[in-house]
Amino acid sequence: MDTVIQTVDLHKNFGRVKALDGLDLEVHKGEIHGFLGPNGAGKTTTLRILLGLARQSSGSASVLGMNPWADAVELHRRVASIPGDVSLWPNLSGGEAIDLLSRLRDGAVDHAAYKERKHHLCELFDFDPGKKGRAYSKGNRQKVALISALVIDAELYLLDEPTSGLDPLMEAAFTREIRRIVRENGATVLLSSHILSEVEQLADRVSIIRAGRIVDGGTLDALRHLTRTEVSFAQDSVDTHALAALSQVHDLTVVEGRVKFGADSDRVHEVLPLLGTLGVKGLLVAPPSLEELFLRHYGDTVAQTVPQIADDGGTHHRRHRAAAAGA
Amino acid sequence: MGALWILYRQRLRRDRWQIIVWILSIGGLALLAVAAIAKSFGDDATRAQVLQLATAAPAILVLRGLPRGPALDSFTFFEIFAFLALLAGLMNTFMAVRHTRAEEESGRAEIVSATAAGRWAPLGATVLHAMVANVVVAMATALGFIAGGLDPAGSLVAGLATGAVGFAFLGVGLLASEFFSTSRGANGISSALVMVAYLLRGFGDATGQVSPDGMTMTAAWPSWVSPIGWGQQTFAYTGNRWWPLLLPLALGAACTAVVVALMARRDVGASVLAGRSGRANARPWLRGSFSLALRLQEGAIIGWCIGGLATGLLTGSLGAAIQSSITSNPQITAVLRGMIEAQGTSMTQLLVAALFEVAGILAAACGLQAVLRLRQEEAAGTAEPVVAGSVGRMRWLGSFLGLGTVSVVLVMAFTAVGAWASLVASGDTSGSAGEVWQTAVDQLPAALIYLALPAAVFVVWPRATIPAGWALLGIGVVLGVYGGMLGLDQRIRDLSPFTHTPVTTSTGTDWSGGFWMLGIAVVVTALALAAVRRREVGTA
Repeated sequence: MDTVIQTVDLHKNFGRVKALDGLDLEVHKGEIHGFLGPNGAGKTTTLRILLGLARQSSGSASVLGMNPWADAVELHRRVASIPGDVSLWPNLSGGEAIDLLSRLRDGAVDHAAYKERKHHLCELFDFDPGKKGRAYSKGNRQKVALISALVIDAELYLLDEPTSGLDPLMEAAFTREIRRIVRENGATVLLSSHILSEVEQLADRVSIIRAGRIVDGGTLDALRHLTRTEVSFAQDSVDTHALAALSQVHDLTVVEGRVKFGADSDRVHEVLPLLGTLGVKGLLVAPPSLEELFLRHYGDTVAQTVPQIADDGGTHHRRHRAAAAGA
Repeated sequence: MGALWILYRQRLRRDRWQIIVWILSIGGLALLAVAAIAKSFGDDATRAQVLQLATAAPAILVLRGLPRGPALDSFTFFEIFAFLALLAGLMNTFMAVRHTRAEEESGRAEIVSATAAGRWAPLGATVLHAMVANVVVAMATALGFIAGGLDPAGSLVAGLATGAVGFAFLGVGLLASEFFSTSRGANGISSALVMVAYLLRGFGDATGQVSPDGMTMTAAWPSWVSPIGWGQQTFAYTGNRWWPLLLPLALGAACTAVVVALMARRDVGASVLAGRSGRANARPWLRGSFSLALRLQEGAIIGWCIGGLATGLLTGSLGAAIQSSITSNPQITAVLRGMIEAQGTSMTQLLVAALFEVAGILAAACGLQAVLRLRQEEAAGTAEPVVAGSVGRMRWLGSFLGLGTVSVVLVMAFTAVGAWASLVASGDTSGSAGEVWQTAVDQLPAALIYLALPAAVFVVWPRATIPAGWALLGIGVVLGVYGGMLGLDQRIRDLSPFTHTPVTTSTGTDWSGGFWMLGIAVVVTALALAAVRRREVGTA
């Protein structure tokens, strides 16, 4: 399998702060690679080094066989990227910004195919390219970056939290487009995110970064053990023996008057009938946040997140995303 | 199409109006200067008289230039070149910062550098853009002089000197952008350096060697460390020397080379001087719109106060230098100085008046910035949470205007302290040291006008606030400060607040103009405060 991105013992220091601390990342050709980690873990720093916008303090990085710092211009002709924080020119319209960025990437964009593709993407993302940059909301600024990245085909896509600020409909459109470019063009995608569900939907393989180094990685199936849904309900003299016997239920405990256990995320529904028969009260079903996963697997203290009712899981995720600055 | 060309065109498009305004202002001012001088100082004898007065009381030279004979063309160059070069310098520093540091700060450089443009095309396009602009400025200046009837060859030298000084400051602006992490910091330091270059050559010119006829001067060394001074050394019309132009061009090129070397080592968005990390907890006094204004403007206020202090300190040292300077013809000088002093003005008073005029402009600019900050706050969206909180719009506007008033007073206070200390230290005997306080107060009304007018613009036409604010100040300076020496019509000069600044002489102060301006400032401010209640906040 061809390696598209390879970093070996990558370090990046900002003064005394170690943003990257020996990062080894490998991305293969034709895969969608999820790059997961909490805020400040070093995701954006890694992507900036891979784009040649920042230079590593030590270690090596190779992208498409090139040194990103030295061959930045050559590399950027073959790479599309979305920055973590999109900022536009206040007096240029969104359409102008897309054209400008595309011209800078490719040069020849004035042909009909480009125009058609731009028009298609604008419709797909329900984007009005005629407004001035200063008038766009966060979501619409994000769409400018999305469309600029997708409008010209590239071999490699480096996407830094690409769906931040998008509504669920647009997220779905984005997911479809990413799948399409990988299927049709055999492109490679490195998708940085702190939203587990988004990465789960798209990625073939995942690397998890914490404190500047890769702490876990592999195919999603291999990492499936990470994604346990947390279920809890009021103890209320409910007999939990039958529950503990189920194979889908793990780590059943009773804390502060509440029964808690983890269930395999893809098999939660198999547990629900029994919960119904038991007549539990105050049921909470929370998808695991990344922070909780780190807490569970690496034994560090991370701020406790408030559990949410299952139906509300989406909100739970999005709230995390809104709170996230570029990591 | 190469990335360089695309980015160049993009810069041209972004700047199309700004650049036209700059070029027309500089070229138009050149033409206006010739026309006004030809009208007011029509013959060689009149001009010779002005020059002899100026060399006898060299304080005047700070705001003018280096006398090179009474002919109309060299006299025009003497009167206006330094100011044209100052404008060209500011145009270039703003341009350099706008397309380099400001882009990196906003994050736009990030998206551009992630394309095939890479790290170098944006810098290359900025340099190309500014170089083209400087050539056009040079041509516009030359054409302005030629259209006024001056010698074409000399006009070309004068024009190219303006453009070359501009190029030197392009390098300065680019270099400042490497060092500072914010465009505010880079703009502040590089425009301050333009002012320093202007004052340095003023110092050098004022302390230069006067020829026996009192109409030609050789600059002292400070002029030789200023790019604007190098431009003057071309002696356009009288000498037409080309080689001094190499100095500003070399400075611009050297700065750019250092920039390239620094950029090759740093990340996109990083700077040589790392931005300081902020405090974890707000100071206890940060609890309202006035203290927020102060917190936002404190850096700017400190900067302008340092500028005021430096201008003040210049008074004593320049005064002493002038007193002790050896004139080639002591008798004539003594007679002329006697004539000036007979009108109730001492040499030191002239100097104080000239330098406090400069300080008054600094104070007005400092106050103006406080009002402009309102618009920046609004455009950035940070005004919204403040006004959405417990702060009413009237109090919000009032707080920034109040802070503007405080900063105007502070700048003048620092100027007065500097002038007083340096005059006392230099052993000045004219009694001017005691008058600096009054002279400082004299500058306040004009500066307050520059709070009231931009505030009114901000309420009525928010998007025009920033360009209109600086344009009003620029026009005020040209008409009020340079209008007199150019011999502009009094009715036109009366349009500028600086024309009505009270002047303190030994016989007292006439504050009639001052009271009028205070009245106008109060009325306009009151109207703005009343009207802001009817205006939406946060409109684009």
